[in-house]
Amino acid sequence: MLKYMRKKMISIYRKDQDTLFVHGVLDDDIYSLELDLDISLADLEVLSITGKWNRWTTPECRRSDQFLQEAIGFRDEEGLSQKVHKVIGRKSCRHYANLLLECWHSAREAALAAKWEAAKADRPDLTFEAFLAGKTVSPSEVRAKVTGPRIEVSKGPKPGAKEIKILHEKADGGTLIDLHVHTSPASPCSSASVDALIEEAKSIGLDGICLTDHNYVWSASEVENLRRKHGFLILRGNEITTDQGDILVFGLDNDIKGIVKLNDLREEVERAGGFMIVAHPFRGFAVFGAAQIGLTPEKAMERPMLTLVDAIEVLNAKVTPHENKFAADVAAGLNLPATGGSDAHEVDEVGQYATQFFQEIKNEEDLVAALRSGDYSPVVYRK
Amino acid sequence: MPETMPRLLCYARSRCTSVEQIDDQTMRSICRLQDTLTEAVVEILVKLPDLEIIDAQGKFHRTYQDECRNTAEGLKKVIGVRVGPGMLKIIKGLVGEVSECRQLAFMVEECCHGIILAFTKDQLAQAPVEQHQNVEFYRKMIKNNIRLYGRCAAFAPGSSMVEGIEPPTK
Repeated sequence: MLKYMRKKMISIYRKDQDTLFVHGVLDDDIYSLELDLDISLADLEVLSITGKWNRWTTPECRRSDQFLQEAIGFRDEEGLSQKVHKVIGRKSCRHYANLLLECWHSAREAALAAKWEAAKADRPDLTFEAFLAGKTVSPSEVRAKVTGPRIEVSKGPKPGAKEIKILHEKADGGTLIDLHVHTSPASPCSSASVDALIEEAKSIGLDGICLTDHNYVWSASEVENLRRKHGFLILRGNEITTDQGDILVFGLDNDIKGIVKLNDLREEVERAGGFMIVAHPFRGFAVFGAAQIGLTPEKAMERPMLTLVDAIEVLNAKVTPHENKFAADVAAGLNLPATGGSDAHEVDEVGQYATQFFQEIKNEEDLVAALRSGDYSPVVYRK
Repeated sequence: MPETMPRLLCYARSRCTSVEQIDDQTMRSICRLQDTLTEAVVEILVKLPDLEIIDAQGKFHRTYQDECRNTAEGLKKVIGVRVGPGMLKIIKGLVGEVSECRQLAFMVEECCHGIILAFTKDQLAQAPVEQHQNVEFYRKMIKNNIRLYGRCAAFAPGSSMVEGIEPPTK
């Protein structure tokens, strides 16, 4: 028996010489909604948009209709999908965003077919295939990837489960560092300038921060300049997207683009003598509940990916307390070191969580050595 | 064109995604697409409780895009990926390494969304019918998963769904 079904239907006709009328319907076990759009044929720009709910979950779902107008003016360009998810998905409703993209993709193809029809006016025997042969239909993307031999995965938890000690204040001595922050424009999702973020970190009493922008490597000289300018400990890291999720990497200078295999990243990091922390490993599982899918810490400990990392981030300000606790239970069960970081994307988010090292850290070499020592604790600092 | 012209469709699309639980440990999600230019199917198997994609298959029966004719390599790439937050970037990235067929990545995403929505449906089935209790149900859901706060118009400030709930700490 089916657990769930979603149907989407799009129909398009030529409203006039320059305009496509697009009608889209999304109907599934949970929601039913519709979109009507006028889209220009020339550049696939949204000229008008209206939405309609037939079935919804919360009484407030229909508030989303008013924000659909923000799609007017959107046109077919690189990054459109992200823009729709960010603007319509966040401000309005993600199901409207999904249907809007479906309408758009369909309009793109309808426009292609319309152009073929127009071309046939001069050449009635022009086939669709011959028409396409003279066009570039999809752009190619070049993605760098890390290559290297695969690493054997040893399965199963490490022996000797330990308790994860979570601090609630800065310790005397040692170094308190927020190991996970994002700055703008290095991380497109962040709105915090690096200077403002550093000044905030200083003002709240942190001893240092580690810049972990998404797949972005700060140059050593840039960071040295920031250190001198602010008189504050700034370290470099990187949050790298792998096929198994996000990994915080320290001590690796390579500029890695695209999605890499976790095994390949492990190889790179080992070669460089670096350190890997799995970031927010259970982010989002509370949306439908661990119990619902039968996920227990013991089951999670069996994940092969956890044998490829050196530590687990158990305090991350972007996930729920329950998800953090779950991560801590898994780290304890596997006897893996545990860290904390704010995952700040705004200035006033820095330092919500941090990591207390019990030795002095002056530079990146000290940081990697300290991470390897395991002598540190995650801290609830500003939360 | 004059208004009296018949409004014949120049393009039509139908996409259907369905999810079934084939045993205690495994779910199957299938996305079927049929439109004026394309006919395709993608199927993934997902293992519980990790929601890991353990198999992916598919075929483009009809397409105008050469890059979509061979799906095997692109689908092989997503085996091992877990369904959940952050998956879209991973799927697009992995499929994009070996295939320029955007529709292929999109169909995998649709299969994954289907899995998530199947669980969402189970959860929403517990929502009370009476309006006051219904609102409380959603408020509790947001409180328990504060990441939902501000995620859509219904859960944004000004909505009764988030009345009395502190926004996530900034």
